[in-house]
Amino acid sequence: MSMSKKTQEELDRWSKEVKRGAVTLAILALLSKRRAYGYEAVKLLDEKMSFLALEQGTVYPLLRRLEKRELLASEWDYEDPQKPKKYYAVTKEGLMALGAMTKSWSDLSREMRDVIMEVE
Amino acid sequence: MSSNDPLELIDQYLDRVRVYLPLDSEDAIVELQTHLIEEAERIGGGTMTAGSAMMAIERMGDPKSVAHEYAGSGEKVGPVPAEYVTPVSRMAIVLVAVVAALITGASLIGLTFPDLFGIQNWPFNIPVMVLINVSILVVIIGGISLLDRTKPMTEKTTLESVLGLGVEGFKPKGKMDAVGDVIMGVIFMFVLMHPAVLATLSVEFRAVVLYIVVFLLLGAIRGLLFFVGGENNFNLTVEGILSVVWIAIAMVLINIGWPVQYVYTNDGGVWALFDLVTFFETNNIPFISFDWIWAFIMFVTVAIAVWRVVVSTMKVTMYLRAGKGIWWQGNWGERRRLRGSLWRRYRSSRRVSQDETTYHDGYYEPDDSQ
Repeated sequence: MSMSKKTQEELDRWSKEVKRGAVTLAILALLSKRRAYGYEAVKLLDEKMSFLALEQGTVYPLLRRLEKRELLASEWDYEDPQKPKKYYAVTKEGLMALGAMTKSWSDLSREMRDVIMEVE
Repeated sequence: MSSNDPLELIDQYLDRVRVYLPLDSEDAIVELQTHLIEEAERIGGGTMTAGSAMMAIERMGDPKSVAHEYAGSGEKVGPVPAEYVTPVSRMAIVLVAVVAALITGASLIGLTFPDLFGIQNWPFNIPVMVLINVSILVVIIGGISLLDRTKPMTEKTTLESVLGLGVEGFKPKGKMDAVGDVIMGVIFMFVLMHPAVLATLSVEFRAVVLYIVVFLLLGAIRGLLFFVGGENNFNLTVEGILSVVWIAIAMVLINIGWPVQYVYTNDGGVWALFDLVTFFETNNIPFISFDWIWAFIMFVTVAIAVWRVVVSTMKVTMYLRAGKGIWWQGNWGERRRLRGSLWRRYRSSRRVSQDETTYHDGYYEPDDSQ
């Protein structure tokens, strides 16, 4: 069954709102496993979080904001002078925030699943 | 004109992005540069070509939007769109600083023209005139930039070329300039302290020469600080303070007048001092022209000092807002360019070709042990 224009618009609006909340958690979760530099992070998110459909225009500013909020720490690697890499890693503060966010997210998903199953 | 060299294309594009970014954004530029190179390599299947670089650039998008996204949520100010707020404010500061420098310099040497070309209160109405002319300029440039729409992504628009002047105006001191400050400071210090030079100076200038020597020493130390630490709050503060001190010294020097009273002459193998002032006076030649040269030198140095005070104050405030503290390893004015010397290009091209085995698609699966 194809979606009506109205439904599509509603889905787009809703997706945007969901993504806005999920993107910080996604970046913290991915970077908590291992550090990554900007381009790597963009590609990782693109590969593992296709729903978020994040572009570099979203990822880089977000990395900068999270760094400013001390949830991420960065370190430059100048090994290749033509392509210096700014590696981002999750800080202790970031890990604590990630833990709290993950719990909230799990609670939300569980409750949402229950609600949706009731509807179905 | 667009080049066929992929690195040059990326460099040109980043030059455009730089115009719209705040001053302290070199890190963002380097991050974008790495992104573009890796994306171009991925598109080119491991090798970067002019075509793959152009595609990577086009994917990244319009320079002002990219800069706007990077700089965060900038807001529209009056009629100025959010993307243009940074370069326009930077340009405005440059103009205000230039005007302030000229007015201070002119006031110091007593240049006031109460009625020049029928304009009253000259030179204090300069800011108003600048504002009117800038408004006219913006309208003209806005019209011209409409013609720039067909230019490739890597080529600066006319408007960007004008706004880019603001970037140049705030460039950090170059490493070689810092070395120059040290060398020239020390040379002038020793020259001024040399008895043979001291003997040529006027009595009034000799009375203050020690202060100038100390100032030159401090200037050399400032150069050394910039050479070691680049641009940081400590060095900028030192530069600002020294510039204020120089303005104070210049207020004294301007009243002393031309400092060299004697010149050396060789009379039959014997060096003797020749009194310039007496010579001019006895021959009824006005000595005033030397004082004008001195006034001009003072005007230029004071204008530069005022400029430095304005720029230092602005940058220190900016860095403090960014939470950078007092001392850190700062940048130097030499912009990082992708195109280096021949041997560097050779090394880089070798490195790229060596990496081809790893970077088949410009992306590799990371090492989990990290």
